Amino acid sequence: MPNRFLAQVGQTALVLFFVSVASFVFLKLAPGDPVSLMLGSDYNKDSYDRLFTELGLDRPWMVQYTTWLGNFVTGDWGRSFVSNEDIFRLAVMQALPVTLCLAAYAMVLALLVGIPAGVLSALKRDTWMDLCATGVAVFGNAFPSFYLGIVLIWVFGVGLGWFPTLGFVAPWEDPLEGLWYLTLPAITLAAWYIGLIARVTRASLLDVLGHSYILAARARGEGATRVVWVHAMRNVLMPLTTTLGLQLGGMLRGAVMTEVVFALPGLGMMITAATLNREYTVVQAGVMLSGLLFVLVNLMVDQLYTWLDPRLRRLA
Amino acid sequence: MTKIDHRSLLAARMAKDFSQGRRSLLGAGAAAGALGLAGIGVGSAALVSDAHAQGQPVKRGGTIRLGWIDALDTLDPHYTSSLGSIKVINNVFNGLLKVTWDGKKVGFEPDLAEKWDAISDRVHVFRLRKGVKFHNGDPLNAEAVKWSVERVRDPANKSQHGYHYEDLSSVDVVDELTVRFTFSKPYAFLPVALTGSTGRAGTIVCRSAIEKLGRDYGRSPVGTGPFKFVSWRENDSIVLERNPDYFEKDLPYLDRVEIRLIREPSSGVAALLGGQVDGLSLVPFQFVPELRKSPNIALYGQVEGNYSYVGMNNRKGPFMDANLRRAVAFAIDRDVIVKQGYFGEAIPAFTPISPPMAPFYDPNIAKTTRGHRLDLKKAMEFRKKAADQGEVAPVYIVAEGFTGSGGSGTRISQLLAPMLAKIGVKPKVELSDRAAWLKRRNTGDFDMFDEAWIADLDPHETITPEWSTGRQWNFVGYSNPEFDKLVGEASDTLDTKRRVVLYNRAVDVLLDDAPLAMLAHMKVFKAFTKRVRGFQYVPVDLLNLHTVSLG
Repeated sequence: MPNRFLAQVGQTALVLFFVSVASFVFLKLAPGDPVSLMLGSDYNKDSYDRLFTELGLDRPWMVQYTTWLGNFVTGDWGRSFVSNEDIFRLAVMQALPVTLCLAAYAMVLALLVGIPAGVLSALKRDTWMDLCATGVAVFGNAFPSFYLGIVLIWVFGVGLGWFPTLGFVAPWEDPLEGLWYLTLPAITLAAWYIGLIARVTRASLLDVLGHSYILAARARGEGATRVVWVHAMRNVLMPLTTTLGLQLGGMLRGAVMTEVVFALPGLGMMITAATLNREYTVVQAGVMLSGLLFVLVNLMVDQLYTWLDPRLRRLA
Repeated sequence: MTKIDHRSLLAARMAKDFSQGRRSLLGAGAAAGALGLAGIGVGSAALVSDAHAQGQPVKRGGTIRLGWIDALDTLDPHYTSSLGSIKVINNVFNGLLKVTWDGKKVGFEPDLAEKWDAISDRVHVFRLRKGVKFHNGDPLNAEAVKWSVERVRDPANKSQHGYHYEDLSSVDVVDELTVRFTFSKPYAFLPVALTGSTGRAGTIVCRSAIEKLGRDYGRSPVGTGPFKFVSWRENDSIVLERNPDYFEKDLPYLDRVEIRLIREPSSGVAALLGGQVDGLSLVPFQFVPELRKSPNIALYGQVEGNYSYVGMNNRKGPFMDANLRRAVAFAIDRDVIVKQGYFGEAIPAFTPISPPMAPFYDPNIAKTTRGHRLDLKKAMEFRKKAADQGEVAPVYIVAEGFTGSGGSGTRISQLLAPMLAKIGVKPKVELSDRAAWLKRRNTGDFDMFDEAWIADLDPHETITPEWSTGRQWNFVGYSNPEFDKLVGEASDTLDTKRRVVLYNRAVDVLLDDAPLAMLAHMKVFKAFTKRVRGFQYVPVDLLNLHTVSLG
């Protein structure tokens, strides 16, 4: 067990290393030059050279990279060009909690709606209920989150006035208010996952229900509810976890759009603003943080497998 | 002097280039001439707003929540180029003068200055208000004004607004509350340059705060204005609170101002209609019809001091040929641009001089033969004179997205394409994000682009830095010594009638050379819920809150 854990930590470190190299190299290869962009219309040779040196861009790439990596690892992420704010503080203390709250809320919503919808449409296969559930799934899957967010704002925020449409209230300060503010964004972000979860649940459940052990359970006279939710669902959880594990990284991508529409000061908003301002150091911090999250989620999914499937435990 | 380092200045200017616009200085218009040589006395009496004037009792206190759609760069008035920032800055700072609007024309009234005496056409003496304090308790005195003006003016500080004081020889402290400006030649633009409003060069900043905070001053400004700065959370909000020691008696009414920074305009409009914010700093044209219909919303918006145009590269490519540029200028149907490009919330532009520039603007321009207008016959004549008689395919750079009152995304280019096709010009539209677009525009990597110069009130700022030889906003590389001479002379002339003649001639030269093709003068909108009372609209994209109260 400790060996397996160490191996995973090692893998994580390796993945993060490659992410950091990639994000650094992409920045270097990206068209446009941060210095001339920073100087804009007030460009002249003197100020260009001076800023170029000041930012340390005249040093070899390797030196730049190792310096940056060293600083990054020790928590010195630098300061934003525009706001002069400490990037670690901005990204980790300010933006990250917002995005995590949003993503967690959205995931809970997606599971709470997606799994029952999938089960329902598998059990009532080819009935109008299946059609409805599948319809909702396809709809959620196909609707771009940007547009869905705006539609939700107009219907539930402006039209009905049920939910606030912008801003963030920290749930750890005021749980009810916080959830209330996050509801529309969470639905927006969850829609795609609801579709995904419902589809995977339906397909896997249909497959599992054909297995002989289900027939055996039925033959033993077990109740329909127990057969589905205890026996069958256990085997549905595996493909579901795999699919979700693969797609969870996409949450961050969805969060970018959602946060912009609902004016939430999260990671997505930070990266968007920094990209538009060409704040390269901030973008890099955001990318690294996303990379870290992605890897951590996958680690958790791996752990989840061992928990879900006793056979993997035995192998270990 | 200041502890602001070189890099921070660059950063501040960098920010400017990625916000929607650049400067938004305010022109002197009528007042330039009128005030030029007269002493202006203590004024600001008749500044009561509509709702307040109707005898409704003014309710004090409360928090106003505003949605800010436009981008901000810095809250340091001497380094900002963003109208989004200036709207905030104007509530925290003052200039020696301020801009006012009586519904017909723009005026200039004393703000920190109590009295202005023109000793000669080059020497101006200002008497300051007594007892004004910065938010940190520092006194506002002649020394503070001198330091502030010298900060903008010193080329070492690289303020992009320093050019307003190019001809300033010295600023001297006469006594505690008297300061003297000496210019090397008459300076018609002075009233505008001295406003804290959109002039920025005239905004008085706090020396001790700048020396203490360095570049962080732009993130936690200290001024003399009606509201004190409280906080700025990145990508989230800015908070201001009432300055209890504000020098205008009993003002401001509000206790607190919460500014929500919103990137997506439609979210802002929804928040306004849903009652989550009490007002919007800006309303994109496409939402105006919707908001007009809403009984709970008051819209403020008029044709402001601006013009949109198509810029054509004079240095390279097909538009080096003046006849081709002229053909473009006369092939554009501005009524279509107004209707479809600006949803009817604009008027056709014949010249760069817009209605708020009162004495310079000719209200009957449509009936004259001056300026650019749709005239296909003329366009074809010029086209026939062009060197290249084949089909021309200029590179038209377009920036994605809404960028404040100036930018309109891809809309204009789409409308122009069929118009230009009639004269055998088929633009190749190249779409990119704003930052990349700015770089191409600034480095002359284009054949054509469309943009707008906004929030100007005097020809001195609306055509001079844009089209004079070698100036930094002259992106198309236009150069005509006759134009340079005319606008130079107009700047040194105090007599308004003479300035009108000079600027008219300069505009005629410019439009005949056609480095630009005129498009429209646009309205710029603010919106409030009916709960908001006492807003004083000034047509230079300002959102001053000192007279505002909540019903």
